[in-house]
Amino acid sequence: MSVSKLLGAACAVTLVAAPAFAQGYPERQVTMVVPFTAGGPTDTVARLVAERMSADLGKQVIVENVGGAGGTLGAGQVAKADPDGYTVLLHHIGMATSDTLYRNLAYDTENAFDYVGLVTDVPMVIVARKDFEPADFPAFVDYVKGHAEDLTLANAGIGAASHLCGMLLMQALDVPLVTVPYKGTGPAMTDLLGGQVDFMCDQTTNTTQQIKGGTIKAYAATTPERLAVFPDLPTTAEGGLPEVQVSIWHGIYTPKGTPAEVNQRLSASLQKALADEGVIKAMADLGTAPVSAEEATPEALKAKLESEIARWKPVIEAAGVYAD
Amino acid sequence: MATKPRDDTDMIAGLLLMAAAAFFGWQTTGLEVGTSLRMGPGYFPMLLSGLLFLLGVWVFLKSFGREGEPTGPIAWRGILFILPAPVFFGLTVRGLGFVPALFLTSLIASQASVKMRPLPALVLAVLVTIISTLIFSYGLGLPFRRFGPWLDF
Amino acid sequence: MDLLSNLGMGFSVASSFANLGFCLIGVLLGTLIGVLPGIGATATIAMLLPITFQLEPVSSLIMLAGIYYGAQYGGSTTAILINMPGESSSAVTAIDGYQMARKGRAGTALATAALGSFFAGSVATFLVAIFAPPLTAIALEFGAAEYFSLMVLGLVMSVALAHGTVPKALAMVVLGLLLGIVGTDVYTGTPRFTLGITQFSDGLNFVALAVGVFGIAEILRNLEDEHERQVMTRNINSLFPNRDELRQIIGPVLRGTGVGSILGILPGGGAILASFASYTIEKKLSKHPEEFGHGAIAGVAGPESANNAGAQTSFIPLLTLGIPANPVMALMIGAMIIQGIVPGPSVVTDQPELFWGIIASMWIGNLMLVVLNLPLIGLWVKLLTVPYFVLFPIIMAMCSIGVYSVNSNVYDLFAVAFFGLLGYVLSKLRFEPAPLLLGFVLGPLLEENLRRAMILSRGDPTTFVTRPISAGLLVLALAVLVLVFLPQIRRRREEVFTESEG
Repeated sequence: MSVSKLLGAACAVTLVAAPAFAQGYPERQVTMVVPFTAGGPTDTVARLVAERMSADLGKQVIVENVGGAGGTLGAGQVAKADPDGYTVLLHHIGMATSDTLYRNLAYDTENAFDYVGLVTDVPMVIVARKDFEPADFPAFVDYVKGHAEDLTLANAGIGAASHLCGMLLMQALDVPLVTVPYKGTGPAMTDLLGGQVDFMCDQTTNTTQQIKGGTIKAYAATTPERLAVFPDLPTTAEGGLPEVQVSIWHGIYTPKGTPAEVNQRLSASLQKALADEGVIKAMADLGTAPVSAEEATPEALKAKLESEIARWKPVIEAAGVYAD
Repeated sequence: MATKPRDDTDMIAGLLLMAAAAFFGWQTTGLEVGTSLRMGPGYFPMLLSGLLFLLGVWVFLKSFGREGEPTGPIAWRGILFILPAPVFFGLTVRGLGFVPALFLTSLIASQASVKMRPLPALVLAVLVTIISTLIFSYGLGLPFRRFGPWLDF
Repeated sequence: MDLLSNLGMGFSVASSFANLGFCLIGVLLGTLIGVLPGIGATATIAMLLPITFQLEPVSSLIMLAGIYYGAQYGGSTTAILINMPGESSSAVTAIDGYQMARKGRAGTALATAALGSFFAGSVATFLVAIFAPPLTAIALEFGAAEYFSLMVLGLVMSVALAHGTVPKALAMVVLGLLLGIVGTDVYTGTPRFTLGITQFSDGLNFVALAVGVFGIAEILRNLEDEHERQVMTRNINSLFPNRDELRQIIGPVLRGTGVGSILGILPGGGAILASFASYTIEKKLSKHPEEFGHGAIAGVAGPESANNAGAQTSFIPLLTLGIPANPVMALMIGAMIIQGIVPGPSVVTDQPELFWGIIASMWIGNLMLVVLNLPLIGLWVKLLTVPYFVLFPIIMAMCSIGVYSVNSNVYDLFAVAFFGLLGYVLSKLRFEPAPLLLGFVLGPLLEENLRRAMILSRGDPTTFVTRPISAGLLVLALAVLVLVFLPQIRRRREEVFTESEG
């Protein structure tokens, strides 16, 4: 089949499915809602991707920060927006966990959105203050089990990824620890650096430079495979705790009812952005990488969201913590 | 003087503080107080509400036995037009869009002064809208829709 | 010497023609946006951030630093001219700065703020250059117990902020603390005082509160009796401080610089206290404490210097630890990451040009600020000659945009209206807004650190006195308390005495 025929067929399909609407998309600027304040890690991911997507779409993709209530305000706003492709949401793992953490959510997580694709998976690392005794991960596990009452576990607040990871760790080790919540990862990291708390889980975005600088000690990566930045760091699975696996995955969503062509167009643009060298490098600096082109698709994101909701529901319910 | 001196302002101030304390105290009732190791969410607010109430009583009692100053006139017109302005902007900025919402907000606010005549008010609102749109929407590229979905026909 | 060669490298990076240009543009834009009412440093930086993305990393950060200083100075300008602070620090400047403006001394107040800031900025820049690593070590000694004690000290000082009666000032602090608690409890996730409104689950917006109780309440007061009352005096005195005034500000500027430099280093919110602490110190040391609140020049010079010194040294935890001390620094980290620089302990060694370039540009930025703003003062002061009924609709429009732009949260605008009314009622009842604001910013920190300290000490309250830094701060708090209350008691005695005589 010749190229022109193929193109013609593709056009025909498009025309049938969405009369005149998706064809010219985008006709004006697209608003990418980030449900967190400007300057945070999620905002950074969004701005990186939005810039490259703008170049591909030919219209500006601008980031709007609608922070508050663990990301549920911004998500709620997008759920109610017109499904025309001009309002999209970039959210992380919180999209799945807030479904259980918030008992009176203003939207139905699994039915209020359409999907564009996954963006990146930020791994987490179990880190401790630099003078923490155990030498390696197996020793860490024994030490924590043996000294559970004397140790403190920091997290970045109820429902934060560090909190979820801490819950998993406690359930896996079967010991209750004194948890110390903070308002965000910044203050938690400060106290870990100062030796005020003993250990925590945190994403590589925050930990990579600190580990390299020797200001904190890393014990394990919470990913299925070892991290490229720290090839010597074992995974939790290697240490016998395969259930302690958390990564902060980010996805782009549109309001339910957005034409499939628009989602496909955004998805194609996302894939292009993720293949951009600048984006790959910027993400590598953060200790992460863009997902593959197959994962930056509506299907992959839908599957991820559904499996993550199912996965976290029992964990959160067992711990009995809710954010409202 | 036949009547005992009393500072009315402080008396009202004291009563208002007590009312505020009662409100916060009432809102605290549903919160868990906890122990000193694990202070609950209600521990600190409970303490503060109590303290605020005591301070209210203190201010109230101090109002007796001395003369107050007059409170002066109240800006009813200001309250009527100034306060609704940001509320109106909030309610309409998404629906009407930035440009019309801001225009009407400036117009409402300008009515708070008796010195403002209708025509200058209109001119002022137009100017404020044009300049703000140039600065914030075009210049800084803030993610506001200039004309919102309510105006789509 | 190492330091000199490092600084030399920094200056050679920062003073390239292009970088000087970006610094200038940053300062200029920061001032122009920051001067708009209701738009504080955080909002200004968030708005201008995208502009810097296209630049080289060093240039981009230099421009951002320029925006930061510009925004901060712009915020103080609004606080002085129309009593509308956009950040907690400029709230203190508003107390006496605005009173000076009303008496026709707006120019003097603005020049004082600019000169004080420049001096403080220069000193603090060198502190950053020389002592960054050791100072970081001190900052890390501060745990929850120390922060709690520091906040207690701050609260005690706040009472001295007020020029009214002590119980009313205390009541405002406590009310502020309670308002600061609104939102989700960090420890349990329980919403408190949110009245079921999800939009308030992250707390009330500071800008909404400050704009409401300061700015809008002031507009309402000015609208009370339009025919008889003139908001601003028509005769404006010379723009620059005279010799006598300059002599008056030397002490406050020096002390403010010291206080601000120290508090700015603490990443857990120390900088918030800087301007409040400086104001209290000046009021206590002044031979004319009664002038405070009615346009005392020391009440502008001290806090402004403290504020700027703190702003400078709050770069220390950012540059040496990669940890943001405040929302503005968080934005800077975001900007760095987008530029491919992940802040952390290794920035100094890995990218010395960047590190020293930023430090040098801090000083250059401060210099530009003063050069740029001294001539602009004349223009700002001219703004005051615009009839008030033209000015306030503009103010209302700007602060609506400013408050909304931070988080696109409509409820923040409702909060502006509510706090405007509250501020007006409070002023009618002769309460003062400054202690309320301090309580509001300290409330969450106080509670968070108290509870965290108790968790870390396993419920042992002696942790506050057995940890030396914490104990020292508490002793200081006690000393301030005695200093504040002694004159009160003495005056009371005198009052009783005179009354019984009469």
